[in-house]
Amino acid sequence: MKYLEFINQKIRDTVLLPEKLVLFGQNIGAGSCLGGLTRNLKIQENSMLINSTNTENSLCGLGFGLMMNNVSSIFFMKQLDFLLLGIDHLVNTYNIIRNNHQTNSSFTIMPIIMDNGFQGPQSSHNNFGDFCSIARIQGYTITNKFDAEKIIDSKLIDSGFRIIGVSQRLFQTELIEPEKLIYTSDDLSVFQYSDGGDVTIVCFNFSFPYGYELAEKLSDQNIKHSLFNVNSPTIADWRKIIDSIRKTKKIIIIDDSKSTNLNYHMLLSELSGEIQLEKKIIITKKLSNNWLNPIDDQLSVNYDSIIENLMK
Amino acid sequence: MINNEIAYDIIKVRISQMMVNQFYKEKKFQIPIHLAFGHETIAVALDRVMEETDKLLLSHRNIAFNLARSKNIKQILNEYFLKEDSLCNGKLGSMNLMNLTKGIIYTSSILGNNFSVAIGVALSQKIKTEKGITIVLGGDGSMEEGSFHESLLMAKSLKLPCLIIIENNEWSMATKINERRCDVDLEKFSSAYGIKYVKLFGNNPIQYIENLTTLREYAIKNNEPVCIEFDVTTLGDWIMKHDDYPNGKFINYHAGPAPEVDLETCPAVIKTSIQDPVYALKEIIDESEIIKLSETIRSEIKREIS
Repeated sequence: MKYLEFINQKIRDTVLLPEKLVLFGQNIGAGSCLGGLTRNLKIQENSMLINSTNTENSLCGLGFGLMMNNVSSIFFMKQLDFLLLGIDHLVNTYNIIRNNHQTNSSFTIMPIIMDNGFQGPQSSHNNFGDFCSIARIQGYTITNKFDAEKIIDSKLIDSGFRIIGVSQRLFQTELIEPEKLIYTSDDLSVFQYSDGGDVTIVCFNFSFPYGYELAEKLSDQNIKHSLFNVNSPTIADWRKIIDSIRKTKKIIIIDDSKSTNLNYHMLLSELSGEIQLEKKIIITKKLSNNWLNPIDDQLSVNYDSIIENLMK
Repeated sequence: MINNEIAYDIIKVRISQMMVNQFYKEKKFQIPIHLAFGHETIAVALDRVMEETDKLLLSHRNIAFNLARSKNIKQILNEYFLKEDSLCNGKLGSMNLMNLTKGIIYTSSILGNNFSVAIGVALSQKIKTEKGITIVLGGDGSMEEGSFHESLLMAKSLKLPCLIIIENNEWSMATKINERRCDVDLEKFSSAYGIKYVKLFGNNPIQYIENLTTLREYAIKNNEPVCIEFDVTTLGDWIMKHDDYPNGKFINYHAGPAPEVDLETCPAVIKTSIQDPVYALKEIIDESEIIKLSETIRSEIKREIS
């Protein structure tokens, strides 16, 4: 099953039963339905599905207005960049709600992160964490079967506001189904998939497929790894990761974000002074001079080199 | 009798603001406050028209509406003093002041921000099949924001009964409307979206109440938004001594204290024209009654806050 198909199915299952739920966004029930993300959504009779106007700023306000009067909604967004138009509401309106409104209703924005690079200049901003950090908004990335299940089941419709990002680059890739899920932090900011004592791998943003492939190659070399994915782009519960690094003293960080304000900096800051690392390998975007041009935005990972480095 | 009650409400909102202004002149506040002298008739008319299930969304210049709805200056003053035992526990101050129990569900200090939030509230009322209506206010500055246009479009497209009210005082801070932009015919603009438009002016509270009542019913019956433009004069301007201006420099009131407005003025009139809602009360009650009410209310308010 493809990543996209699985997420679409999870969304369909989640929106089917709630009453008085509003789903909205441009073309969510027309044409390709956001490339298939919102295809075949069925809802209760007293819920609404709105193929909305092209009014991104006001659509953010709409969601918060619904929330104020205790109606839950999901705003599906074709492209994260469009959310730039709604930043006023992400900051000012959301701040007023969380400061003064008692509401049990839910508002979720689910943007597609256009992270394949071929969108050109407008996609140069595609950094999910920047949106979340602007007003300390809880955000979640979806990267594999386990985190998709946990995050969509418990957060797509849940009291409060959050942004759940999905990766366009992963849409047509095979869904990753890790062998096991060892640990999930209470706030769903950190997921752990293996627990070995040789090296700790920590993936950020949508880099889990790289980390997962690396973990498989390390297993082939009989190197025991602890594999983590940090699903929150801004705030994370680092405790399990730090416990692991305390044992392994070796860390591999993979982050495919484009921001200059990267979440792994926070992790390194937490580690500094506490743990003397024997090995620190960081794989992240190397923004070249043509980073504004339509180019392949895949992260370049030399797995053999990493393994060789670890074995030194 | 009803005329006297309405006049009482209008003068109370006026003198309450004069009291806030007095504290402001004495530098008692840490927060910025946008007084709304001149907006009292609209505020009281809306208060009279609103049903319990209606939702009201305001802007930074919300004091007259909050006073008209709450009828309690003390809890508002305490909010301005950022006290915990106040309307919003000292968390919101002035520019975002809400009163959920009185239907003031949201107030935004960001120009034009509240229009789209109002569309969401109106949609929530439709989904929940609530009987009430959503009412949102902005000024002639806020209607220049893109969100105003987007919100009219959405309100009409989604068939939402709501009142979108523009208080046109012709000023945006220190810039007069014709100094900053071309003329915008809001009637034609509303018409382009197929939205009913009505212009109200003159500060006659009886007419305002009748018109707003009719328009509220129209919006509910037809499941559609109505755009209402009020001509309003924000009072409190003064002439500042200035070396470059031999006759003094005209300062339009925007925010802060109004230095020439005096709490003890009786009757509580700021400008002797119908631009002043208290002066305009002469259309519905005797001048002697305005004086009597001014004296009574001033004493009541002083007692309330003492």
